[in-house]
Amino acid sequence: MASKLSAAFRALAFGLVALFAASSLPALAQQPTSVNPTAQSVKEEQLLQALKPGAPVAGRISIPDKQAANLIQPGRDWRAFNQETLPRLGAYSLIGIAILLAVFYMMRGKIRIDSGLSGMKILRFGALDRFTHWLTATSFIVLAITGINVTFGKIVLAPVMGPEAFAAWAGFAKLVHNYVGFAFMAGVLLTFLIWVKDNIPSAVDVQWFAAGGGLIGKGHPPAKRFNGGQKIIFWSVVVGGFLLSLSGWHLLFPTAESIEHVQWQATLHGTTSFVMIAIIIAHIYIGSVGMEGAFDAMGSGEVDLNWAKEHHSLWVEDVMKGKRPAGHAAPQPAE
Amino acid sequence: MLIKRKEGQAARQGLAAALAATGAERLDRRAFLRRSGLAAGGLAAIGSIGFGSVREAQAKMPVAGKPVEMKKNMCTHCSVGCTVKAEVQEGVWVGQEPAWESPINRGTHCAKGAAVRELVKGERRIKYPMKLVNGEWQRISWDVAFDEISKKMLEIREKSGADSMWFLGSAKFSNEGAYLFRKFAAYWGTNNVDHQARICHSTTVAGVANTWGYGAQTNSYNDIRNAKTMIIMGGNPAEAHPVSLQHVLSGKEVNRANMIVIDPRMTRTAAHATEYVRMRPGTDIPVIWGMLHHIFKNGWEDKEFIQQRVYGMDMIRKEVEKWTPAEVERVTGIPGAQLERVAKTFATEKPSTLIWCMGATQKTVGTANVRAFCILLLATGNVGGMGNGANIFRGHCNVQGATDLGLDVTTLPLYYGLDAGAWGHWARVWETDIAWLRGRFDVTKAPDGKETSMMEVPGIPSTRWFDAVSMPKDQVAQRDNVKGLFIMGHGGNTVTRMPEMVKGLEKAELLVVADPHPTTFAHISNRKNGTYLLPICTQFECSGSRTASNRSIQWGEKVVDPIFESANDYWVMHQFAQKLGFADRMFKNITMVKGKYGMEPEAESILREINRGGWSTGYCGQSPERLKAHMKNQDKFDLVSLRAPKDAPAEVAGDYYGLPWPCWGTPEYRHPGTHQLYNTNLHVKDGGGTFRARFGVEYEEPQADGSKKKVNLLAEGSFSKDSELKDGYPQFTYGMLKRLGWDKDLTEAEKGTIERIGGNAPDNVSWAIDLSGGIQRVALEHGCIPFGNGKARANAWNLPDPVPVHREPIYTPRTDLVAQYPTRPDFRQFRMPNIGFTVQKAAVDKGVAKEFPIILSSGRLVEYEGGGEETRSNPWLAELQQDMFVEINPADAADRGIRDGAWVWVLGPENGSKARVKALVTERVGKGVAWMPFHFGGWFQGEDQRGKYPKGTDPYVLGESVNAVTTYGYDPVTGMQETKVTLCQIRAA
Amino acid sequence: MARMKFLCDADRCIECNACVTACKNEHEVPWGINRRRVVTINDGKPGERSVSMACMHCTDAPCASVCPVSCFYTTADAVVLHSKDLCIGCGYCFYACPFGAPQYPKTSNFGSRGKMDKCTYCAGGPEADGSQAELDKYGRNRLAEGKLPLCAEMCSTKALLAGDGDIIAQIYKERVAKRGYGSGAWGWKVAYKETVAL
Repeated sequence: MASKLSAAFRALAFGLVALFAASSLPALAQQPTSVNPTAQSVKEEQLLQALKPGAPVAGRISIPDKQAANLIQPGRDWRAFNQETLPRLGAYSLIGIAILLAVFYMMRGKIRIDSGLSGMKILRFGALDRFTHWLTATSFIVLAITGINVTFGKIVLAPVMGPEAFAAWAGFAKLVHNYVGFAFMAGVLLTFLIWVKDNIPSAVDVQWFAAGGGLIGKGHPPAKRFNGGQKIIFWSVVVGGFLLSLSGWHLLFPTAESIEHVQWQATLHGTTSFVMIAIIIAHIYIGSVGMEGAFDAMGSGEVDLNWAKEHHSLWVEDVMKGKRPAGHAAPQPAE
Repeated sequence: MLIKRKEGQAARQGLAAALAATGAERLDRRAFLRRSGLAAGGLAAIGSIGFGSVREAQAKMPVAGKPVEMKKNMCTHCSVGCTVKAEVQEGVWVGQEPAWESPINRGTHCAKGAAVRELVKGERRIKYPMKLVNGEWQRISWDVAFDEISKKMLEIREKSGADSMWFLGSAKFSNEGAYLFRKFAAYWGTNNVDHQARICHSTTVAGVANTWGYGAQTNSYNDIRNAKTMIIMGGNPAEAHPVSLQHVLSGKEVNRANMIVIDPRMTRTAAHATEYVRMRPGTDIPVIWGMLHHIFKNGWEDKEFIQQRVYGMDMIRKEVEKWTPAEVERVTGIPGAQLERVAKTFATEKPSTLIWCMGATQKTVGTANVRAFCILLLATGNVGGMGNGANIFRGHCNVQGATDLGLDVTTLPLYYGLDAGAWGHWARVWETDIAWLRGRFDVTKAPDGKETSMMEVPGIPSTRWFDAVSMPKDQVAQRDNVKGLFIMGHGGNTVTRMPEMVKGLEKAELLVVADPHPTTFAHISNRKNGTYLLPICTQFECSGSRTASNRSIQWGEKVVDPIFESANDYWVMHQFAQKLGFADRMFKNITMVKGKYGMEPEAESILREINRGGWSTGYCGQSPERLKAHMKNQDKFDLVSLRAPKDAPAEVAGDYYGLPWPCWGTPEYRHPGTHQLYNTNLHVKDGGGTFRARFGVEYEEPQADGSKKKVNLLAEGSFSKDSELKDGYPQFTYGMLKRLGWDKDLTEAEKGTIERIGGNAPDNVSWAIDLSGGIQRVALEHGCIPFGNGKARANAWNLPDPVPVHREPIYTPRTDLVAQYPTRPDFRQFRMPNIGFTVQKAAVDKGVAKEFPIILSSGRLVEYEGGGEETRSNPWLAELQQDMFVEINPADAADRGIRDGAWVWVLGPENGSKARVKALVTERVGKGVAWMPFHFGGWFQGEDQRGKYPKGTDPYVLGESVNAVTTYGYDPVTGMQETKVTLCQIRAA
Repeated sequence: MARMKFLCDADRCIECNACVTACKNEHEVPWGINRRRVVTINDGKPGERSVSMACMHCTDAPCASVCPVSCFYTTADAVVLHSKDLCIGCGYCFYACPFGAPQYPKTSNFGSRGKMDKCTYCAGGPEADGSQAELDKYGRNRLAEGKLPLCAEMCSTKALLAGDGDIIAQIYKERVAKRGYGSGAWGWKVAYKETVAL
């Protein structure tokens, strides 16, 4: 304590002397703190050690590209992520979901409509709903394929196609990925806007999950327009889509970013992509081969009443009572 | 992974193996080191290294199958004199290769030198002659240009006299071009002819020549390798002369030499110093006197040297006594202990050299600064040897040569001056009737009826031409104001007080700009008519010699023909001379050869004429043949001594590279040139010498009691090696040879020439005007230097301040010091008044320093040069510096809320001047000091003037010129402008 | 087999930018593409040092590793080159490069990139040595003519060394021994996983 105080006093005294000196000698040349630059030359080693994690070895440069002032960039880890972690993650998630679905199919088979087809149709998704779904879906698939190409193309395709043909394809794929990305962003935004109010989690979802969603075991727990499982898909698409859009945007327009920042965006983009791809594959499964009658919802938009009653009993009740319209009206009325 | 090259690789290895097998030379380690330009000495054996891919060189061709020719010229930027090796294919310059063989640059370049090829691609060059018609640029032919301009010139001459034309030449001329331009002005009949040296080292030339004889770098860049201590003061060679740093840093490393940088700015040079001393701008003399204070107090001075070779050191002692460490610190800001350490190092760890540049010279006390520097060298015995001396780094590629060849308002070529003797000498060389020449000049009549021929009156310097246009007629001491401006190869943004310059420009009747680029002159004013742009080619498009800072003269061969409609200086001057009616006389002895547009003067022939008249400075021995032989045998010259060994090819054996002047006698006499001036350790025939006995034999020194004491000005007991005269001696004349009995060594032909020149008084014919070279030859044969063996002068009695004294800058923040250290009283110089004292007093009285508290200094960037038009038009360079900026200390920036990279206004204290630039917040400058580069133009007072350039000639990068805000202040000896210390205010824009 | 490297002696480098313009000149590199640049650390302060930086032609180059189309290859002299025919301008090499070497002409939409351009160690590209196609795409091929990169050859103070790693390390070591100081072989640790022991 005492030594701290005395140090403080010394500093104060020094400050006063300096102040006095400065005021009595206006505009005097200031001596730099040291007199021998050579004796003090900055060594790369020191700088590297002194680096805060992630800070570049930076200096001054006269060209406008300020990023060029970073002599040595941080982020030695991204390469390992991109070359090892990400492909592994991708492979695990793709293969993992495939195995999972195969096991599920073997155990559960195609989920039938227990009460059989009623022959009566109910409008589940209007034109806007379906437009939004398919905009998002097709763009996602295109993006997924062209994106996976970046990670796996050179391992899987290049040996088959040869470097020139593969580079031509990859160049095309990159271009497509860059443009289609905007369609996907629009799809995600629409998805959120038109369906968010039906996707607010509620107590019904808890029951639904408690009953295994009807996927495991027998019986159909009640559900509103979207059941708990669909809500998970919705929120995955919204959150995952947002993250992909955000990071993708940064990768499209990288100029003002630091390299480390861009690396973070690329990491986020890659990781989210594979998680999303796995989820969407599950979604596709359940919406097509996995469940009888489900595809119609996004196909024609009209589903069999019995299917609707089994999977969305509360929604059917609401529609029947006229409490709510069926699917979103299209800009032009459905036929 | 990719395959193609891998397979290609295999093929290449195969080829390398095949080459090895067929005995083709592989690049071994030695060759590799040579290639890297690295000294092989001391490198441990590394064993054999496989160079699988490094094969025998073969011509690489941008267009396959066409032959490539190599041409050698020199870089046209700074004064270092780097050899440029050009690959030319079908008349197109397609590539640059390192010129390893040059002892000056050993293959290397700076940013500018590595980018010179762009000059002759020249996208932004002037493509054809143009004139302004009602404010619009209009294309014209060369013939129309010559007709109209010469008609207007003759009209001005008729109406206002010869002196109303003002000629501005260029340090970018070859020696031959510079000489022709000076001669052109002489034949026109005026001494109003100047060039960039006025604003770069005019004060050096005056100060140094007045100290020991010649106003040039005493040693060389290469010789700095021998130094043990170097002080770089007022210079930033890392940016201004980057290749010189190769020698500086090698010397620093090999000798573990002390490298001390004294400068207001922590420059790129200071970054490599062993000691950096920050001083307040404008206090050079107190710094030097402060050092000498310690040196004299501790007895570190070289007493023997002073006694033998210096006059007047005791007067310096008296002045220096006043500069106690406390006073020095009060004025300069440098702590006494630090300066004592520097002084001790410089005085005791010898050889020591002092390197300076524009930080010393561009001051109202420029000449005095330079004198103080010389005196420090003299006091410590650091002149005239290996590794010491005044290593003055000149600016432009041929500013040394252009200075030597008299592009100057005070002298004819080679420092002969303007007196009758000088005119007589050159009239004899030119074989022109002196009476006719005299008739070309104006005669003015004083109120008392006394007539003066303007032939012997110094002209109007480049710093003041606009005053000579604008001032009331009676203030300008010539027949009339300046009416016409004829400018070849000189920027317009190089003078201070630009707002006033613009007014002068608008008032002039005729403006001719002959240049590769339009320069600031083309856009800065609102002229509507009477303005011409003539496309001149660069020195890469014509041949000729140029003199590097170390006085080495190098011959550059034409790389390609002048591009577009541009033409070379020689042809343009000849055409004008024809139109003006004196071509026959002026080119009487100059050979004409076929050029781009017909017959033009031959460079070799012009150089021979220079040789015939260049005795005073030893420009007599450097014939074109010898210079070309040097370029051919560059690799024979030693890196440090610059000398070719005796066993080198006979045409260069024993020579110093570039025959640095003085190179005595005729070319046939084969003097080797002079590497280190005044070096008494060498025989004069080996480049030795003594201080020049330029100031007489005795001086009648005024004493305190009013009496006069005769003091000896000749050296005492000091002489060059093997001199037959073992003491000081005056300059050689025919009469002196006779007294010594050496006249019998003259040949009959030599005697005949001397007697013809001497007329009634042949004994007065000196070594400098003897056209036979006989007097020089005989003196040298007796081991004596023709110019005599004198003392250097610490007291230069003919200068305004014979002993340099500190004087505060005109605009100083230290108004408390002005009363004690005021600037000189107002007086007249160069036909005009210099009212520095009035301006300083007014500034103090009005409290300018309160409103403008920051010291503003200016300097150079490595990417640009001079006014910058040429370099800012080169995309490879321009990309690297895209904005004009001001360096400001973080503390000053914080006070003003200025961020790094933000736009700011720099406001000057005169003419309400202002400049809009970007802020560079940096600790390079101390608190209270700002710095701006001087290469920018194209903006004025915040306004972008790109539209005023002729279409397609605007440089890539434009910006405010620092001189828009610089202020009044001129050196009393040379009219040098003050660019290094003024005041400003800075505000966020 | 030579192992080509760059070594910038920061105690010699004066930020004169000759390396930058020599490169521009030799290869006609367009405005905005900076194959080489000079960075000044501690600008204006004691200890200020400048370092010339370009592609370091790394051992186990990260750019090559992350390239999704494998357009990079390493020559027998350990020079890291790439094929502009294969490059798709994705920018991954720029993300991975420790030295900011890859450059992209801004030719296509949304700030996305054209074919990557970088220092070739004056060794051209995959086309035949000295061919017009190589010249057009990558600039001149000095190495094939037994010459070293022009930036190093023209370095004003001979700060920038190019050549076989062992030789330039030896030269640097001797320099440091002679003069008594050395701020280190900048970037070597990152690029070559080794440094010059002083």
